[in-house]
Amino acid sequence: MRFCIILSLSFFLVKNSFGDIAPDYIDYKADLSLSSWIFPESPINNEQKHNNYSFSFEPEIYMEWSNSKNFVFRPFYRLDSQDDYRTHFDFRELKYSFYGEDWESNFGIGQVFWGVTESKNVVDIINQFDAVDDPLMKTKLGQPLINLTLIRDYGYFDFYLMTYFRERTFPGLKGRLRTNPPFLKNASSYEGGSKWTPELAMRWSNSYDEYDISLHSFVGYARAPAIDIKIIDGKIQYAPNYQRIRQLGGTLQRTMNSTLLKLEWVARHGEKDSNLRRGGHISAVLGFEHTSYQSIGDNGDIGFLMEYNFDSRRSRSSDSLQDDLFLATRFNLNDAENTEMLLGTIFDLDGDGQIYQLDLGRRITDSITLGVKGAIYQNGRLGSNLYILRQDSWIELNLKKYF
Amino acid sequence: MKTYFKIFLPIVIFLNMVVSVMAETPEEKGLRIATEADLDGKGFKDIIQDMEMILRNAQGEESIRMFNSKTLEVDGDGDKSIFIFQHPRDVEGTAVLTYTHKVGPDDQWLYLPALKRVKRISSDNKSGSFVGSEFAYEDLSSQEIEKYTYKWIEDVVCPGFEEETCYVTEDYPVDKSSGYTRRVVWMDQNEYRIWKIDYYDRKNDLLKTLVFSDYKLYLDQYWSAHSLKMVNHNTGKETDISVKEILYQTGLKDSDFNRQSLKRAR
Repeated sequence: MRFCIILSLSFFLVKNSFGDIAPDYIDYKADLSLSSWIFPESPINNEQKHNNYSFSFEPEIYMEWSNSKNFVFRPFYRLDSQDDYRTHFDFRELKYSFYGEDWESNFGIGQVFWGVTESKNVVDIINQFDAVDDPLMKTKLGQPLINLTLIRDYGYFDFYLMTYFRERTFPGLKGRLRTNPPFLKNASSYEGGSKWTPELAMRWSNSYDEYDISLHSFVGYARAPAIDIKIIDGKIQYAPNYQRIRQLGGTLQRTMNSTLLKLEWVARHGEKDSNLRRGGHISAVLGFEHTSYQSIGDNGDIGFLMEYNFDSRRSRSSDSLQDDLFLATRFNLNDAENTEMLLGTIFDLDGDGQIYQLDLGRRITDSITLGVKGAIYQNGRLGSNLYILRQDSWIELNLKKYF
Repeated sequence: MKTYFKIFLPIVIFLNMVVSVMAETPEEKGLRIATEADLDGKGFKDIIQDMEMILRNAQGEESIRMFNSKTLEVDGDGDKSIFIFQHPRDVEGTAVLTYTHKVGPDDQWLYLPALKRVKRISSDNKSGSFVGSEFAYEDLSSQEIEKYTYKWIEDVVCPGFEEETCYVTEDYPVDKSSGYTRRVVWMDQNEYRIWKIDYYDRKNDLLKTLVFSDYKLYLDQYWSAHSLKMVNHNTGKETDISVKEILYQTGLKDSDFNRQSLKRAR
């Protein structure tokens, strides 16, 4: 609630200080999507519903003043036919930017992407995942922040102050792809602070010929919670527990002809492992992406991706990708419909199962696209993250209309 | 002796010049024409262009792409540019930042607005189709002299513009990843405007023809074609580009062409 008040306050501040100055450029747009989420297998728990439909709406207003400031407002709403927790609202962006020749500053709610790899982005710490929205973890919640970027000959320097922590979204009682019991809402605990405890981040990045390099440091909460087990009315309940961490990390990409070599790493201290023991660990993704151009059809490209996901906590990691190999093929037909498909598998090298992923996109008309996404979860070892999902393999059909 | 030398020396120099011009090989002449054309186009500083692309398949079905581009002239190296997609809506806001280099591969970054991701990409896909059109990336990229070797073939009446005489030259791409063995270019002798290009594939068969028309003069110095038509002889597909607006010397700076401004590009 307090979050919403501050939001509206800051919105009106921005509106009042600039409302009387007409922007030089205004752009409105929106997209609306309809999805059907199909789970071929029955749910494990009685409360869970089988399949569901959902609808989402994402408008955007963009304003620009004399090429030195702009404002973006992009709210998001999803309505889910079954899961109340999946029905949610978010400000993906509500941000005011000032910029000059060698600097930029942002105030408000933003989205920040630092990663270079494809299977997972361990360095992306600014935004929380909107886990109910996309189980493949590509969608993020808007993050309230103040940011300054300085552009110098020796690189880009980003400074971030985050003033409010966004909790991860989790499916509710009726939803699929969840723990049993599900996570309680509004029951999060914050070690060493509250959701208002400030977080800080710094990042440097630069390009040297075929190398793109970045380094960052972060002080704040880990985005993935540990499970806080509670007993309420004689029943076991899960509550999210967020831990204060310190983190150093970086990315490296070498772009050679049609092959990209990639590395992402973080060294983190203060996070609890799955045995709830606190400590330090290193997590990394190392791999390559090779594209063979014009190798299918008239103009189609095939890309091969291989990435190794490592976590020094190994089986005590709360992350499912801790000793896993990601292998994928990306098809890009380069046709008038912009047909793209990614087929991927994730193998746990310790023998803790496999995940198969599909992500296909195609344009139907100038303003409608079709998306087919899915995942199959197989052979998870008893008690592992993958085991929880053993009956939740899914496929999603999605139609998106752009206005 | 002195007087004799005074008269003789200019004659020697003059004869030398005549001989050297006469002895100019077709390759030297080709390079000279390309160099002159390049010099003629220099000094534009920056350009903003608004374009529409119509893709037409062999059955005549059309689809439309819209984008705009910003280009900055760089002294001593290739140009810097940002390409921003406007239409269809699902790719709106997707942008590509390119640092062209005279020698070696270009640097390229792709901005994906849905993820807010800036991704360094390989510029190796020279011969790949640009958004499903009949234009390859290399057809649209900044044309630097060093990217080809040249040979003059003949002088003929310009195709599509009979008042002018055109140089016909063959350009051979230096880069091995090019999709072509050669291009044949028709360029007029007065203003160095290109009227037609034939593209020959790796098997040296005629693959595509590009025809330029609707030239307009900017700043009393720079000619820009407002209509381009590419025909693929193998597939019967066509792509038309019509340039809606061109602005020269808008005052763009180097700072408008970095990874930070790429994220703001609209």
